Amino acid sequence: MRILALITVIITGIILIYGTVDMPDWGDPNSPASKHVSPGYIEEALEKTATPNIVTAVLADYRSYDTLGETAVIFTAGIACILILRRRRRQRK
Amino acid sequence: MFDFILSKYNYWIYVILMMIGFYAMIGKRNLIKKVIGMNIFQTAIILFFVSTAAKRGGTLPIIEHGHGHGAHAIQATAYINPLPHVLMLTAIVVMVSTLGVALAVLIAIYRRHNTLEEDEILRQQQK
Amino acid sequence: MISQSPVLVVVIPLIFSFLNLLFGWWKKGFCYPITLVALSLSFLASLHTLNTVITSGTIHYYLGGWNPPWGIEYVVDHLNAFVLVIVSFIALLVAIYSKKSVEKELPEKIVYLYCLFLLQVTGFLGIVVTGDMFNLYVFLEIASLAGYALIATGEDGAPFASFNYVIFGTIGACFYLLGVGYLYIVTGSLNIADLSQILPDLYNSKVVLVAFAFFLVGVSIKMALFPLHVWLPDAYTYAPSAVSALLAPLMTKVGAYVMIRIMFTVFKPYFSIELIPVTSILGWMAAGAILFGAILALAQTDLKRMLAYILVSEVGYITLGIGLANRNGLTGAILHILNDAFMMLALFLVVGAIMYRSGNREIPQLRYLHRKMPFTMAVFVIAALSVIGIPPTCGFFSKWYLILGAIDAGKWVFVAVLLVSSLLNVILFFRCIESAYLEPVAEHASGGSELVIAREESPLTMLIPILIAGAGIMSFGVLSGKIISTIIQFAIPIGF
Repeated sequence: MRILALITVIITGIILIYGTVDMPDWGDPNSPASKHVSPGYIEEALEKTATPNIVTAVLADYRSYDTLGETAVIFTAGIACILILRRRRRQRK
Repeated sequence: MFDFILSKYNYWIYVILMMIGFYAMIGKRNLIKKVIGMNIFQTAIILFFVSTAAKRGGTLPIIEHGHGHGAHAIQATAYINPLPHVLMLTAIVVMVSTLGVALAVLIAIYRRHNTLEEDEILRQQQK
Repeated sequence: MISQSPVLVVVIPLIFSFLNLLFGWWKKGFCYPITLVALSLSFLASLHTLNTVITSGTIHYYLGGWNPPWGIEYVVDHLNAFVLVIVSFIALLVAIYSKKSVEKELPEKIVYLYCLFLLQVTGFLGIVVTGDMFNLYVFLEIASLAGYALIATGEDGAPFASFNYVIFGTIGACFYLLGVGYLYIVTGSLNIADLSQILPDLYNSKVVLVAFAFFLVGVSIKMALFPLHVWLPDAYTYAPSAVSALLAPLMTKVGAYVMIRIMFTVFKPYFSIELIPVTSILGWMAAGAILFGAILALAQTDLKRMLAYILVSEVGYITLGIGLANRNGLTGAILHILNDAFMMLALFLVVGAIMYRSGNREIPQLRYLHRKMPFTMAVFVIAALSVIGIPPTCGFFSKWYLILGAIDAGKWVFVAVLLVSSLLNVILFFRCIESAYLEPVAEHASGGSELVIAREESPLTMLIPILIAGAGIMSFGVLSGKIISTIIQFAIPIGF
C-alpha cells in the first residue's frame, strides 16, 4: 500500500516537473501570464474602478462574482460544521 | 544548464512540497496526518500560483501616485501581475473551509469509532 | 428581469439558502416550502434559458458588465442549457420527495440540511453555467463541501465514508486547480472561449499536455470513473436517502459535462483525439468501468450499495460515448446524461421509499413489496428495464446510439462490452424483481389461507416524484428523436 502510494506520488511529481520545462522563466516580465490579461487590469483599474490597490479592484470589481462564490463557500463550510457536529437532543437526556 | 536550473528551480520546490502533501494524503494511515497532508498540498498550490505573478523589477500592484496623474503614466511592467493574487485569496478561503469541514468530519468519526487510525476503523466496520 | 435568467438560475437557490437559515431559526416548518419555491423558480429560469438558447442561439452574459477576458462570463449553449434543465428539475423532484424521509432520518437537523441542499444545487448549477475556469473551481468547491457534509450525516459508516470522499474530492479539485494554473502560466487567460482561441498555437507545449492530463484525472475523480471510483460506493450507500437521491444522479453527470467541456471546447477535438490518444484510453477505462461496476453489483446484497455500483457502470457508459469521439457516440453520451439522471433518480428514490416504509434494504427482504407498494415497485421495474435497455424506455435509445458509435469507430470490443453489460443488468435486476414479486411457494402450500398483506404505499410527497421519474423514463424514450433533433444535435461540440 505504502509502496503503491509512493510510486503514484513519484509519477505525479515527475509529470509535474516535466511540465515545468516549457514554462516561462520565473519572474520573466514578458511571460504570457503577464502579457495577455493582466496589463489591462494594471493600466485601467485606477481609471475604471477608482481603486489604487489593483488586487482589491480585481477581487471586488472585475471578478467580484468569484468573491461572491468565496463567501458562499465560507457559508457552506459554516453550515456544514453545524450540521455535522450538532448532537441530537435525545442523546443529551 | 545552470541558467535553466536557476530559472525553474522555484517551480520544482513547489512540486516537491505538493508531493510531500500528496504522499501524506494517500500513504498515511492516520486520519489527522491525511488532513495535514491535504493542507500542505493546497498551500503548495497557492505558493505556485503566487510565484507565477512575479515580475523582475515589478513592485506591489498598488498604484502609488494615485488619482490625477492620468492613466497613461502607469506602466504594466512596473507592477507584478495582480490576477494570481486575487485567485489565491479565493483559494485560501476555499482551503480553510475544506480544512474546517474535514476536521468536523474527523470529530464525527471520533465520536462513532473512538479512534482516528484508519486500520482500527476498518477493523470495527468489518465486525 | 427575464434577460437575467442565466444568472438567476444560480443566484436564486443561493439567496434562498440564506433565507432558509433565517426563517428556519424562527420556525422549522418554513424550510421545506422555501426550498420548493427556490427550486421551482430556478427550474423556471433554466427552462427560460433553454428556450432562449433554442430560439436565438448561444447566450453570453457578462457578470458585472466586465468584458470577457477581464471579467467573468456566463456562456450558455445547447449543451449547458440542456444539463442546466436536467439538474434543476431533478433537484426539484428530490426536494419534493425529501420531506418525509428527512423528517424521519434527521429530525433535528432539518434547517441546516435544507440550507446545504440548496447550496449543493447552487454549486451544480454554477459549474454548469459558467464560462470561466476559475469560477468553475469555486462552484465545484461549494458543491463538494456541501456534499461532504450531507453525506457525513448518514448512518453508522457515513462519517468515515465522507472523510474518504473529502480526501479524494480534494485531490480531484486540487488537480483541477493545478491544471488551471498550468494553463494560466502559458496563456494568461482563464476564460474558456479565450483559452480555446489561444491554445491551438501551444498544443506542442509540455505545459499544456500536463495541464490536460491533470484536468482529466481531477474530473475523473469527481465523476467517479473507474478506477478512481473507490470513494463512491461507501459514500452513496451510507448517505441519507434524500441526499443520495440528489447526489447520485447529479454529481456524476455534472462531472461528465465538465469532461466534455474540457476535452472538446477548451481543447479542440483534434487535440484530444489525434495529438494524444486520450479518447481511446478513456474508451478502455470506460469499458473497464462498465464491466467492473456490473460484476461488483452482482456481489452485493444491499440494494443501495448495488445501485451505487450500477452508477459506477453507468458513468462508464457516458465516458464510453466521450471516448468513442464520433457523432453517434457523443449523441449517446449526451442523451445518456439525461436518461441516466432519471434512471438513477427513480432507483434511488424507490430505495429511499422502501427504507422509509420497512427500514430495510437487503435484497432477500424485499418480499411482498409489490403488494405493499404497487406503484413504487412498478416504477422500480420501469427503471430496471431502462437500465437493462428494453425498447420503450429511454435507456434503450442511449445504448442504441452508443452501439452505433462503437460500430462507426470500428471498435467491436466495445459493442460486445455493451451487450454483455446488458445481460449482467438483466441478472442483477431479475434478482431484485424475483424477490419482490414472486411469492415463496412453501408458504402458500403450507399456510393454506391467503396471507393478508396490508397496502403500505409510500406517502404522497414521495410517491409523486417517483411517478414523475417513472413517467420521465417512459416519455424520454418515446420523445428521444425529438430531444435529439431540437437540442442534442446542436449540443455536440463543433468539430464533429
